[in-house]
Amino acid sequence: MSETPQAAKPAKPKNTIAVLRERHGGMTQDLKDYFKDQQRVRKLLREALKGGAMTIPQLAAACQLETHVTLWHVMAMRRYGEVAEGAEQNGYLLYTLKEG
Amino acid sequence: MAKIRERYDALVIGGGIAGMQAALDLGEQGYDVLLVEKDPSIGGIMVGLNKVFPTLDCSSCICTPRMAEAAHHPRIQLQTYTEVKRVDRQGAGFAVRLVKKPRYISEDDCVGCNVCELACPIDVPHEFDYGLGARRAVYIPHGNAIPQKAVLDLEHCVFCGKCEKACPTHCFDFTQEAEEATVNVGTVIIATGLHITPMAAKAEYGGDTFLNVMSPLGMERVQSSNGPYGRVLRPSDGKIPRSIAYVQCAGSRDRSIGVPYCSRVCCMYALKQALLLTHYIHGLDVTLYYMDIRAFGKGYEQFYRRAVKEGVKVVKGKVAKITEADNRDLILRVEMIDEHGRVEERRHDLVVLSQGLVPGWHVGGVIDVQEGDDGFLLTPDAKVGPSLTTMEGVFVGGVAAGPKDIPDAIVEAGEAAMAAANYLEHTRWRTMTGAALRVDVRHQEAARASEVH
Repeated sequence: MSETPQAAKPAKPKNTIAVLRERHGGMTQDLKDYFKDQQRVRKLLREALKGGAMTIPQLAAACQLETHVTLWHVMAMRRYGEVAEGAEQNGYLLYTLKEG
Repeated sequence: MAKIRERYDALVIGGGIAGMQAALDLGEQGYDVLLVEKDPSIGGIMVGLNKVFPTLDCSSCICTPRMAEAAHHPRIQLQTYTEVKRVDRQGAGFAVRLVKKPRYISEDDCVGCNVCELACPIDVPHEFDYGLGARRAVYIPHGNAIPQKAVLDLEHCVFCGKCEKACPTHCFDFTQEAEEATVNVGTVIIATGLHITPMAAKAEYGGDTFLNVMSPLGMERVQSSNGPYGRVLRPSDGKIPRSIAYVQCAGSRDRSIGVPYCSRVCCMYALKQALLLTHYIHGLDVTLYYMDIRAFGKGYEQFYRRAVKEGVKVVKGKVAKITEADNRDLILRVEMIDEHGRVEERRHDLVVLSQGLVPGWHVGGVIDVQEGDDGFLLTPDAKVGPSLTTMEGVFVGGVAAGPKDIPDAIVEAGEAAMAAANYLEHTRWRTMTGAALRVDVRHQEAARASEVH
């Protein structure tokens, strides 16, 4: 609010991630496993998509993943600009890797 | 909480559409309002909806200007990511204990550029998309979030520090901890909104088992252009659905799950979603299984007729059980409500359960107001004072008092604001004289108008 008195700004600490890591004891084993699996799945999906556009069932078969898991990962990659949506093929959409 | 003051005229708990309305109505009358929201952004459930019934207006197009108005109002102090821990009567007003959770960024320095989110290496299910989409461990809550500031989800942080290194304004501060504050307020408005009944509530519908049985709020996000898929797909395999079913009363009017009441909005949101689906997917078969259609509001009956005319099929029948086929299609066992009373099996690609509304928050130990048997706040004088609670000076607005649609929630929030203003006048809490406050607001409005012209 406009009438709020502004206190002098304290100096901001730098590279404070080490403080947080120490305070919270780092990643849990469950999170480590989750993150490792995510990296494995993404690598599989990227490799498969290098071969050209694929639907979710095709990708899932190529990577030996479940279709709903494949969809979630592909949608995450789409959200962050790694994958683009293409044309429809037999009731499914085709997905491609974005260049760069 | 460097900006928070010691004294306000009113505390509004909850930054959804009802809380924002109550805060704005009080602010416009010249009262100083503290608006507290537990999530990192205001906007509540409405900002995540696709469109509103019966007008089919874009929901966020209505909600977002309200959010901006509340955030920038000179009389409203917005406090997000903050929880109210205790409210006690103190003199003419109330002492309120708050805890602000750490975002791990300086809100003054974060410019909402999203660079940290792009640098973060881990994806986790996004609450805003009901788990159907992903976000990073550090993230801006959503595109229309206010404030447009990043927040770190510590539970999923991999402690790599990439966000901190990438941030162009060096706004990260991982040394932050939860902050406590106590403020004094003259009146309290509770506008804590709703949850929907749990997906697991009706085991026979497989809501927590079958991937293609969706919640209505999940469907809202899937229908939204900025939703998890960008278009309507079914969650099990990304198929464009050809046949979708809505199961009405899947979490209301049902004593077995403790929700004996009608939730008042399910018929209309289901009809709205069903109609929109026929617009989004050419040739889609969409069927609504219902016991009664309750289209009671202004223009609602006409909307129901329009939906049927435009191709939504309505079948009077009670869905007894849902099972899953090998290809994840869903088979509905329907007890038809007609002269024959026969049982039929119908197959669909996707099913949406029209779940009911339950309270978004329970007061337990925080404030000494009573809840009714249904869990919503008790309004003992509902006929003539719908915002009055069992505690003098504490008012309720929106769905916190009982299920209702958006227009009714806004109207009741306005009524709560008016009742709170009357209470403040009665207790002479105001920090300035009424005349001075009104002149002040008029002066600001004139200044704003001159800026526009």
